[in-house]
Amino acid sequence: MNSESGKEDPFDSILMADNRFHCEAYKEGLLEGTRQGLLEGMSHGKTHGARLSTEMGFYYGFAFGWKCLLQNNTDAKSKKRLKTLETLTVLIQRFPHDDPQYATLLQDVEKVRAKFRQVCSMMNVPADFREYVNVAAGMSF
Amino acid sequence: MKDTLNILHKFSAHPDSRCWYVAWNPKGTLLASCGGDRAIRLWAREGDSWECRFVLPEGHQRTIRKLAWSPCGNYLASASFDATTCIWGKKGDDFECLTVLEGHENEVKCVSWAPSGSLLATCSRDKSVWVWEVDEEDEYECVSVVNAHTQDVKHVVWHPTQELLASASYDNTVRLYKEEDDDWVCKATLEGHTATVWSLAFDPSGQRLASCSDDRTVKVWKECQPEDEQGEGSASTDPEWKCVCTLSGFHSRAVYDIAWCRQTGLLATACADDGVRIFNEDANSNPHQTIFSLSVHVPKAHNQDVNCVAWHPKEAGILASCSDDGEIAIWSYHSEA
Repeated sequence: MNSESGKEDPFDSILMADNRFHCEAYKEGLLEGTRQGLLEGMSHGKTHGARLSTEMGFYYGFAFGWKCLLQNNTDAKSKKRLKTLETLTVLIQRFPHDDPQYATLLQDVEKVRAKFRQVCSMMNVPADFREYVNVAAGMSF
Repeated sequence: MKDTLNILHKFSAHPDSRCWYVAWNPKGTLLASCGGDRAIRLWAREGDSWECRFVLPEGHQRTIRKLAWSPCGNYLASASFDATTCIWGKKGDDFECLTVLEGHENEVKCVSWAPSGSLLATCSRDKSVWVWEVDEEDEYECVSVVNAHTQDVKHVVWHPTQELLASASYDNTVRLYKEEDDDWVCKATLEGHTATVWSLAFDPSGQRLASCSDDRTVKVWKECQPEDEQGEGSASTDPEWKCVCTLSGFHSRAVYDIAWCRQTGLLATACADDGVRIFNEDANSNPHQTIFSLSVHVPKAHNQDVNCVAWHPKEAGILASCSDDGEIAIWSYHSEA
């Protein structure tokens, strides 16, 4: 009875084929899915990261430009404006650029946007920069 | 029910249009109204009738949603769906637009003047609340933009004595703001309503806040100082606001507005079921479990949705209401108790 000991029972391998292929296909599928997911995630991250960085960079440059224009003015109004510009600059500088998973990212983005709108109002600049900054689309995760 | 709400006058203020809001000037001599016809009219009592005393020149491109008088009574602010807020002042015998506040991305829903008269708040469908400062030269400057709500902000109102701001939103919450390091920040979020919160009213002392909602209820919130049990107490000194009363089962549709009378402490509500209701606080109710009972219900106060109720600032028991049918009604409340 045990003449074929050490070898696989042919009936067994036939009977288990279904199961074996299932397992192999699962492993292959998992690898492929992981690869594709990683690529998709990377491209998603790149797109949104770039968009957000462009937006923040735009605000930073805006604040910097206005600071240069106003820095020599000594009247009360300019001082107030400079102070608000400084607050905006600090908000952007504090942003952790290298940590995409940091917990209050979205709230902090909102804070920067709100401060930017206040700055625009103070400078009497229309805040419609949709052509440069794609804020309207928002973030979808 | 022995208490009564008698109608004194009813007149068409915005014919063929909605009348969105009415506001008494601080002296109570003028009633300002605004509507879907983009008009602002100021009404005054002339003997036995109400006459239109002023029609403000056209200043807005779209519906005017709400109005607010400055505490001094010299200025009127109007919030419009055209994304701007206008400040009106009297020049000679007429009112003219002094300033246009721009900045909101879309429909401005409400405007409110702080008790000091030096701060103004506006809110919009763009989800933000803006605080403006007025200087000696009557120039307005934005001091803060707060993006705390996640949806359309429907109403803003200031505390009667402190520099504390409250806002109500389509995100079902009420939020409270205070100034901190040159910025206005959200200090408390009042959660409990299950639909849009349409309006807010502080009680005369400012210790309680009433909110009314699309969920057909009215809630009363009370300021509770946090107990510093460990005696450390320095960590959080922000008072908490707790719901001490929910009025449900009285309104059959959305409650659009609520007003708390300065003199009598009565609560009036404006409801989408065309009714006006007055609630009276039980004298011996527990401060942590306030009880309000329905004093008067006028089922068909107007032919259509009632949008706003406003108590007269000086004469106790005089109430103004306005409706989608463009009419304003003036009521007189009497209690037999």
